[in-house]
Amino acid sequence: MRITQSMLARNFLNNLNTSYSKLAKYQEQLASGKKINKLSDDPLSAMKGISYRRTVAQVKQYEDNFSEASTWIETTNDALDEANQVLQRIRELVVEGSTDTETPSDRQSIADEVEQLRDQLVDIANTKVNDKYIFNGTNTTEKPISTDISTFDGSTTLGINNNPVKIELSKGIYLQVNADGSKVFSDDLFKDLKDLISDLNAGTSANGFDRYLDKIDAHIDNVLSELSQTGARSNRLDLMKERVSQQELTATEIMSNNEDVDIDQVYTDFSVASGAYTAALKVGAQVIQPTLLDFLK
Amino acid sequence: MSTFFGLETAKRALAAQQNALYTVGQNVANANTEGYTRQRVNLTATDPYPAASMNRPAIAGQIGTGVEAGEIQRIRDKYLDVQYRENNSKLGYWTAKSDALSKMESVMDETDSDSSLSNTMEAFWESLQDLSTNPEDVSARSVVLERGKTLTDTFHYLSETLSQDKKDVGSEISVSVNDINSILEQISDLNKQIAALEPNGYLPNDLYDKRDILVDKLSSYLNITVETEKSGGNAKANADGIYNIKMTAADGTSVYLVQGSSYNSVEVQNGVDSDGDNIIDSPPASGEMVGITVGGIQFAVSDANGNVTFPQGKLLGLIESYGYQYTDANGNTVEAGTYPEMLDSLDKLAYTFGTVFNAVHEKGTDLEGNAGTAFFTFGSLTDYKGAADAISVNSSLTYSKIAASANGDPGDGSNAINLASVEDFDLSSNAVSLEGFSSMLNIASLGLPFTTGTINSNYEGIIGKLGVDAERANNLEANSSSLLESVETNRQSVSSVSLDEELTNMIKYQQAYNAAARMITMNDELLDKIISGMGVVGR
Repeated sequence: MRITQSMLARNFLNNLNTSYSKLAKYQEQLASGKKINKLSDDPLSAMKGISYRRTVAQVKQYEDNFSEASTWIETTNDALDEANQVLQRIRELVVEGSTDTETPSDRQSIADEVEQLRDQLVDIANTKVNDKYIFNGTNTTEKPISTDISTFDGSTTLGINNNPVKIELSKGIYLQVNADGSKVFSDDLFKDLKDLISDLNAGTSANGFDRYLDKIDAHIDNVLSELSQTGARSNRLDLMKERVSQQELTATEIMSNNEDVDIDQVYTDFSVASGAYTAALKVGAQVIQPTLLDFLK
Repeated sequence: MSTFFGLETAKRALAAQQNALYTVGQNVANANTEGYTRQRVNLTATDPYPAASMNRPAIAGQIGTGVEAGEIQRIRDKYLDVQYRENNSKLGYWTAKSDALSKMESVMDETDSDSSLSNTMEAFWESLQDLSTNPEDVSARSVVLERGKTLTDTFHYLSETLSQDKKDVGSEISVSVNDINSILEQISDLNKQIAALEPNGYLPNDLYDKRDILVDKLSSYLNITVETEKSGGNAKANADGIYNIKMTAADGTSVYLVQGSSYNSVEVQNGVDSDGDNIIDSPPASGEMVGITVGGIQFAVSDANGNVTFPQGKLLGLIESYGYQYTDANGNTVEAGTYPEMLDSLDKLAYTFGTVFNAVHEKGTDLEGNAGTAFFTFGSLTDYKGAADAISVNSSLTYSKIAASANGDPGDGSNAINLASVEDFDLSSNAVSLEGFSSMLNIASLGLPFTTGTINSNYEGIIGKLGVDAERANNLEANSSSLLESVETNRQSVSSVSLDEELTNMIKYQQAYNAAARMITMNDELLDKIISGMGVVGR
């Protein structure tokens, strides 16, 4: 084949361009840290990248939901714990009041304390966290107990909402985060407390004060049952949290494998390409050969 | 035989070698001229003396009478030209496609850009998740509203940018059509000049070169074949003749773009004259490209089955990117092409997303206890076409009117979860179960343009197709470019100037010239012997 100067120059420029564009590619990968900078670099990986990024974003969002759920569960737990203590104190007072040595004035002062404790129960029922009433089911913007409890005698109903509040913790997996306020702060509880207070104030009880013990015990059981359910939810939350953070780790790793550059690899490639480029330049300087002209006198 | 016979032979040699030296000079001068073909002087021996005849002088044999420069010829391989032009059409086609797809890729930037459609969708989804955990919260609601607006803005941005890019491709078609017509005019002019020179025995090498450069340029726009026609008269056997340039479509339609000294203008069918030169050069004002007309003959872009029949080249690459339409066997107008298809997909996506989202939103209850209204509106659209441009958040929607609740209570976020799940709903299902509702959602009955998969999977499909198409165009561009490069190398090997070769020739011709001059001196000395040295014996 006949080779001319212009062909050499042309070839040299082409090859130089090829190795230069390789350098540019590696440089872009190193600078961006991504293997794929355009869809067409690798359409399959780019498409996978879209869904991996979505998975990572979703897992992160679910982690936000977890903290929301744990706020609910922890505050519910604390409130129920407090309600339990209040009811235990009422039980102690009932035991004290049922003793035959108590004078009517003693019983009146016990009644005063029970009244205070009852109001405290109402306060607990109206617990508000993050501007939400946590014991009114999904009706979180209204107080669960808004009626005047001192006159409440069970002839009407408190109407506490008992809908479960659910939070999505993973695709399609929901956890109920509230306790059933209508069970803990039942109409019966406040009716019984009103009866107890009026009996204590009267100083006598028709069927004796002992009968209140069974009733208070039943109410305490209600609280304990909700408390144990809340505890179980808290456990479930912890387990799922662990699983989701594991998921985040895996998803991030897969995403990174899919689109992040292997720095060592690319840097090595870059060095090789850079060597090739320098060589091409050196050869180029040689390629522009002396012509016959240089030897003619 | 004349006394001065030897002088005449040497004189002819001087003239011929000088001629050859000047041609070397021309070659060296044009060593770097684009499209220059090296030239060679064909030296031939002149007729010997005496000519064979009955009454020839009685001398022994025939004596040579010297040399003449027969003709100055271009060194070129026609077959390589054919190969070059074929590959040049392919390169032109794939370069146009690859350019358009690369541009589209950077608009639909899905490689981890914050402003990409999938990221704004994701941000909207996150805001709905936050809403589901805090359904009574004003700020969570406002964020949903704002992210919804960002999402519609992204649809608008994509739709507008793609439409603008499409228009840019339209102007490129117009520029190309004008360029093609200018090339055709120049080729026909050159044909005219060549036709005037060749019959007189000239070889207009520089006109040939100019014409071949133009044909090479034309071949990047259109796949053409060149037919040559001899000039007649005293034209040399080496004369290239007249170029008749023909364009043939896949369906057999063909036309001469250039025939001798006349040419047919290339025009856009049903198009617009953008610059008042009476050449219809721009795509139609409404609808897509239908085809190209040349001298009254129509070249449709595609046949009724959607197979592209238009000759390959940059023009077709531009038309396919811009978009074209054809009438199918049932008489329906079908639109195809890179930009119309992407815009159509975006419309479908926006319409499907908005419609399903509205259907779910309308099932829920807002903060004021009223049933949900439409979240997104599509202006006055009657079907999905134009949805990406028209989709917007319902202007009467305030944060309290977001229907996040399923049971009506302000603290219930079940419907917000349903809204967040919209992008994963099975679009073919007629019974999608919704959190907090006992009734099912019949998506299949909504009359959506997408009927299978999910919104996410459809979007990934659109992006995947774009990526694969762009990758293919880039690869084929690179392939045809290297093929063209190898043909060009072959062509250069034949036609380009080698300085070493020219300098060798220079020495060769220079020495021959010197030798011829010496012959004259020798003849001079011979004559001097006769004139001054003879008849002076004993003087």
